[in-house]
Amino acid sequence: MKIKIFRWRAVGPLLVLFVIGCLLWWLFADTIARRESQKVGTQLLGAKVDIQDLHLDLRRGAVTIRGLTIASPHEAFQNLLEADELVADIDMIPLTEKKLVVDRIVAKGLRFGTPRTTDGRVAAKSGDGIAGRVLAETREWASQFQIPVLQLATGKISIDSLDPRRLSTIPAAAALSARADSSRRAWQAAYDSLRLGPTLDSASAALERLRHARAADLAALNDGRQAIDRLKRARDRVTALDRSVKSGITQLQTGLAGLDSARGRDYAFARSLLKLPSLDAPEIGAALFAPGAIKPFERALYYAQLARRYMPPGLLPRATTGPSRVRRAGEDVRFPKERALPAFLLRSAELSFLLHPTSDQPQQYAGRLTGLTSEPALYGRPTTFRASGPQLAAGALLDHVRDIPVDTGGATVGGITLPAFQVPGVPLRLDPGAATTQLGLTLNGDTIHARFAIRSTHARWMRDSGFANSTIGDLMWRAVSGISNLDVEARLSGPLHHPDLAVRSNLDQAVASRLRAVLGDRVAAAEKQMHDRVDALINDKVGPVRARVNEVQTQAQAQIAQQRARLDDLQKQLEQRLRDLTRIRLP
Amino acid sequence: MFALIKLIQSLFDALHSEGTPGQLAAGIVLGSFLGLTPLVNLHNALIFAALVLLNVSFAGGMLGWAVFVPIGFLLDPLFDWIGHSLLLAPSLRGLWTSLYNTPIVPLSNFNNTVVLGSLVFALLVSLPLFVATRWAVARYRVTVGERVRQSKFYRAVTASKVYNVYKMFRP
Repeated sequence: MKIKIFRWRAVGPLLVLFVIGCLLWWLFADTIARRESQKVGTQLLGAKVDIQDLHLDLRRGAVTIRGLTIASPHEAFQNLLEADELVADIDMIPLTEKKLVVDRIVAKGLRFGTPRTTDGRVAAKSGDGIAGRVLAETREWASQFQIPVLQLATGKISIDSLDPRRLSTIPAAAALSARADSSRRAWQAAYDSLRLGPTLDSASAALERLRHARAADLAALNDGRQAIDRLKRARDRVTALDRSVKSGITQLQTGLAGLDSARGRDYAFARSLLKLPSLDAPEIGAALFAPGAIKPFERALYYAQLARRYMPPGLLPRATTGPSRVRRAGEDVRFPKERALPAFLLRSAELSFLLHPTSDQPQQYAGRLTGLTSEPALYGRPTTFRASGPQLAAGALLDHVRDIPVDTGGATVGGITLPAFQVPGVPLRLDPGAATTQLGLTLNGDTIHARFAIRSTHARWMRDSGFANSTIGDLMWRAVSGISNLDVEARLSGPLHHPDLAVRSNLDQAVASRLRAVLGDRVAAAEKQMHDRVDALINDKVGPVRARVNEVQTQAQAQIAQQRARLDDLQKQLEQRLRDLTRIRLP
Repeated sequence: MFALIKLIQSLFDALHSEGTPGQLAAGIVLGSFLGLTPLVNLHNALIFAALVLLNVSFAGGMLGWAVFVPIGFLLDPLFDWIGHSLLLAPSLRGLWTSLYNTPIVPLSNFNNTVVLGSLVFALLVSLPLFVATRWAVARYRVTVGERVRQSKFYRAVTASKVYNVYKMFRP
């Protein structure tokens, strides 16, 4: 019996199923796209993304989003931005390759930093995904900047306990001692292997024979010359050992110098335990303003690093976590290809936004973003952003086209009323008033240069009640209360993993001179006390090591000098005797 | 419990249907693709269309699907490993790059490690599964098939009343 391959009567039900599928898509496509956009956006940014309404118009390749809210990844009850409406023109053909190419987005009614009622942070709470990892990394990065706290409320200088295990001199001294011992053993072994005894004995014997020999005793003369050759070779070996010993001694001396450096570091560490900064003006600025200045750097770095993760340079396959589903998500691997479209490309976005949205007269600004893509090497041009307005100038350039990415961004915003904040370590509040804020960041490969500045001419100072009975508090108050100009600048530069932070302000000198007048002696005494504690812990370890190194050095040099002197002496005597024997005497 | 009864019903439906052992085996193989690979993917739409349009056992397909779903879950780590090895193999990079940049193909999610790994696994298993199932069904029918059909258990399971009663009393 012939079996039919196809079940033609099933075509009808299958078509009906297909039509039902299309109908469901038509009914629920907007909802599905909205939910997926929220999910992907939340995953990408590490903060909750909400969309009130999303409409897909595939016929015209347009997507309209209304009521977009993106929560801040850092602040619990603050939005990063809100947008009234976004209209995107989508290139439909690349969708067949699962690529999203947006020709143009027009965003209207953008607002930044608006309040929200629920905590919208996702990465900060879960720590999952790329955003979670980047957030954790930037937090750890920011935590490396340890700023000593100035305790002025009571004027008391407190000293934390000094843990000997955290001093770097002690392990360095132990290591140097071990190195000195091993050098001594190595040199002794090298010295023993020279076997100078037989050479010296045979040379002495040859000299003795020459003393009783006559000019015609050729065998004795030959013995003498051979003994001189042996002495010269032995001397060469001693010279080689001497070079090796000198090199080793240099290293040991460097180790001793390293102990001094380690001691310096330990002093600095011990000084950091004093809850008081140096009375030098630049460090006053760091103590007062660095904790606040690090935050903008941390946030700018978060977005820069996020951009690097999502927009990596090069064309190698890249694996990212797959879509969440009941089954294991696995990994999605992207395979960029030269002269092909990237998986995501936003050619151009025109933004219009409001600053001071809550004020009576909110100001309208405009910006433009171009070339935002997941594969910059394919697009071939950097991502650029610029925005301008009456009191705003902002720009950014993310150049991930080459192997070493370069990210640059900067913004100057004027007329922003910054909130009053507690000055760290001081029961004093500062209300900067309407200020001009500048932030600039350049991340070239793994080198960072960043600058954050606040300038205000209407700064106001407020005393906390805890300040009432503090002499030093009064001094601080007298130093700063009359100053209405505020000019703070923080600079960050160096390798990304460990950059240098410098903070200065126009208050530094005023505060420093007042503090120096009152606290100078007490600080010096406290610092001396810490130095003494460090010395007490270190000297017991460092003294014997220093003596040991000197002993090893002296011993090795003396041994070599002694043997060299014996060799030289014997050689001189042999040569003198040979000259005497072979001198031609005229009648 | 409901799923188990449905599974047993599917099994008996398939084993005692009028289809040939080959048709039943082909249905189970197609069903295994649905069960082993993540369901919501383009290739499964094609598999489902084939199950409907080709003259294979639909009940067998449902049985294969039901049986292989838990196996798929269990073997997901293996699929992930297979997919990872294949997708990141330098020798295959050209193939994947070209497929990834070809219209429609990326919609199949072949670039997902679990999807690719499970699909490759299902493809490799399909032929042995087909041969083994066809032999097993043929053997079943000539040996114990008729006795089972006459058994009370078979009648109880396949009787729609039992199922309806169960439906009435299920929580």
